[in-house]
Amino acid sequence: MRSFLLRAGALAALSSLACAQSATIVYRGARLLPGGKAAIAQGVLVVGGGKVLAIGDAQTAIPEGAQIVECAGKTITPGLIDASFAGALSRTDGNEQSSEVTPSLRAADSLDLSNPAVTRALQAGVTTVHAMPGTDNVIGGLGCVVKTRELSGTPETVANDVSLRFTMGTDPSRSNRAIRGGRVDSMYYRRPTTRMGVIWEVRKALYDAKEKLEKTAADGPTSPDAATEVLGKVLKGQLVAYSTARSEQDIRTALRLAEEFGYRTVLDEAQDAYAAIDEIVAAKVTVLLGAPSAETSVGDGDGSQPRYATVALLARRNVPFVITTGTNQAALDLRSEAMFGQRFGLTAEQAMDAVTLRPAQLLGIDHRVGSLETGKDADFVIWTHDPLDPACAAESVFINGISALESR
Amino acid sequence: MFHPSPRPSRCCALLGAALCATASLSAQAPDQLLRAKRIVLAPDTVLEPGALLIRAGKVAYAGDGIPAEAIAKAERVDFGTATITPGFVLSYATLGQDQNLGELAFSLTPDLQVAEGVDLWHKELSKLPGSGVTAAAMAPSERQLVGGIAALLKPGADGASIGDADLPLHMSLTPNALSQDRPPTSLMGALDLTRTAWRDAAAGVRTGADMAVLRQTLDGSRKLFVRADARREIFAALNFAREFGLQLTIVGAAEAKDAITRLAEQKVGVVLGTLTAEAKLELLELPAALARAGVPFAFSGQAEQLRLSAALAVKHGLDRRTALAALTRTPAQLLGSAATSGSLREGSAADFAVWSGDPIDLASRHLSTWIGGARQFAATTATQPGVK
Repeated sequence: MRSFLLRAGALAALSSLACAQSATIVYRGARLLPGGKAAIAQGVLVVGGGKVLAIGDAQTAIPEGAQIVECAGKTITPGLIDASFAGALSRTDGNEQSSEVTPSLRAADSLDLSNPAVTRALQAGVTTVHAMPGTDNVIGGLGCVVKTRELSGTPETVANDVSLRFTMGTDPSRSNRAIRGGRVDSMYYRRPTTRMGVIWEVRKALYDAKEKLEKTAADGPTSPDAATEVLGKVLKGQLVAYSTARSEQDIRTALRLAEEFGYRTVLDEAQDAYAAIDEIVAAKVTVLLGAPSAETSVGDGDGSQPRYATVALLARRNVPFVITTGTNQAALDLRSEAMFGQRFGLTAEQAMDAVTLRPAQLLGIDHRVGSLETGKDADFVIWTHDPLDPACAAESVFINGISALESR
Repeated sequence: MFHPSPRPSRCCALLGAALCATASLSAQAPDQLLRAKRIVLAPDTVLEPGALLIRAGKVAYAGDGIPAEAIAKAERVDFGTATITPGFVLSYATLGQDQNLGELAFSLTPDLQVAEGVDLWHKELSKLPGSGVTAAAMAPSERQLVGGIAALLKPGADGASIGDADLPLHMSLTPNALSQDRPPTSLMGALDLTRTAWRDAAAGVRTGADMAVLRQTLDGSRKLFVRADARREIFAALNFAREFGLQLTIVGAAEAKDAITRLAEQKVGVVLGTLTAEAKLELLELPAALARAGVPFAFSGQAEQLRLSAALAVKHGLDRRTALAALTRTPAQLLGSAATSGSLREGSAADFAVWSGDPIDLASRHLSTWIGGARQFAATTATQPGVK
């Protein structure tokens, strides 16, 4: 009897969830910004089964029996995507410190979506984030893409192992020490203390991986260790390197290393992108611009000098770019960062695309999220009005058709 | 001595000899016939009034099953209006011995055995019967990622004895397992190290006693206890167990509220810390929520707070039967020792506690505790049944 009751309870819980997802709901009358397409003034968005069933103008057919939500005066956009979000991992536990090169580590192992930073992002309309290991290691590990709300207590992974983080510059060396007395057995002594040393570690890791792979290929079908396997994917172009490079010097280094070993890279947090713009254009790399609103640079001793005009320069020179919050403590929420993007010279469409469609394309998840099209995930935000207006707020945020704010 | 070997050849020769010695001593002692107003054999089997026949430190017969000739010969112990329950089982205990039960310079030592280093005469062990505890699974230090194999101890007047040297393997994913002097320093690093070790064990690329123990967890012959409190630690443990198909019990589980569906889905057991009245509501309501989802759980931690924990859980929605099970049968089941401890069924060790009423009712007095049919604790004041 008891087990029967238990089962009945579980079924009821499941079916209510299923109902919320499967019922057809029409959001009518809002201004729709579908992403990658022209805005629709008095739009109709039909959602059911966690997916977008139809999107169009006022003439769009409304399915029989559908629940209708009037949204006149509101604006609906795809859920925002933060392609470099630090808040899904604990700040003190973002890296394994026992080694400087940890390619096989997975951000997915350390995710914590109950972190208040995730809730704040969700409240600001962010429905998908790319979480990478922190910047304290030269090669930090593998990134993953997750939705910001969990379904039945399990993080919903959109894509796993989508990136490998390389950190140029001083973050990986700043907590290390040169040997001057003290405990010589500390692992911090064995690690680089200079920018030069950091790059030496990258090059060494890649050379070692290359040699091991060649040797393994010659020896026959033995599988390499996990680290070599991951680096091998980068060297073969199967995995994109996310090179965190803020200063001009680090940006040039990131580009040079990628060219030297022939791997694909993007530039993460490239605050000084304006200073190396010609090289960036020539290398045809995507730039992740962390917190365009920030006046202060991230980290210490990087020597980078953020400029408000960088974002417009990237657009003008046709450099593919996305706007992120990244590791900058001064970053505002992602919507506000897009708003600053517009203030500093982007068109409204460019600014919104930089936090929706472009990051989805960059992460290879645009078949599911990043724009509102029939068949894609019903991840969207109902804004009080124009999302790029400073006074705008997210009224409701939906993930897979379910209101993600109410469920918190 | 306790070299890891496939079950059931578990005990070392010395331990076996020790057990035999105890058994032969008891064999010479006469049978005991216990009577009480209420005897809880297991949380769902209660005799009212009840009788038990104890022979050689074990429950030989219960209730109507006791043969007449055995009754005639047995020494009678009448507990009058008291309630007898199985003794409480701690499925995760360190009891102040943590320092001595970890090789902290290493992160993975799956083949270390608590039975070989535990202090059987430690004063904390001798205090256990005073709280109704008759068995405690001593765990290796949680300051190692994979510490080793736990051991079941039974307190006794002349020091504790080892009931089972071959309990589950213990892992820890709490910040305590991280170190700034050796890997791992992070949860991600911890997962990378364990994944590599288990993958190597599965592939057979490395040999040694440590790999042998990991392979036992892979073939299902050894359970895995993982210390995990924070939400991300709990999910990491769940994901890890699923990846390798391991029989998992989570120890701590303070933030398990959001993981209950997954715990039920993966048939994972939980060892909760003891509760206090000031604990967060989330913690106080967790036992009832676990029970509703059918997740088996036990209380462990401060022995003197076990009854309070059960009572608080009942106050917050748990049924009394599951509450008592969480102190007796469930911890034994999670350890894989249910055949001999955690209940008073025929064949079980005669490990029990005597109360003036229901032990979950805090107004009931704890009168005495018996281990292997011998009294190890008696309340000092007032006369009481069964105490001469």
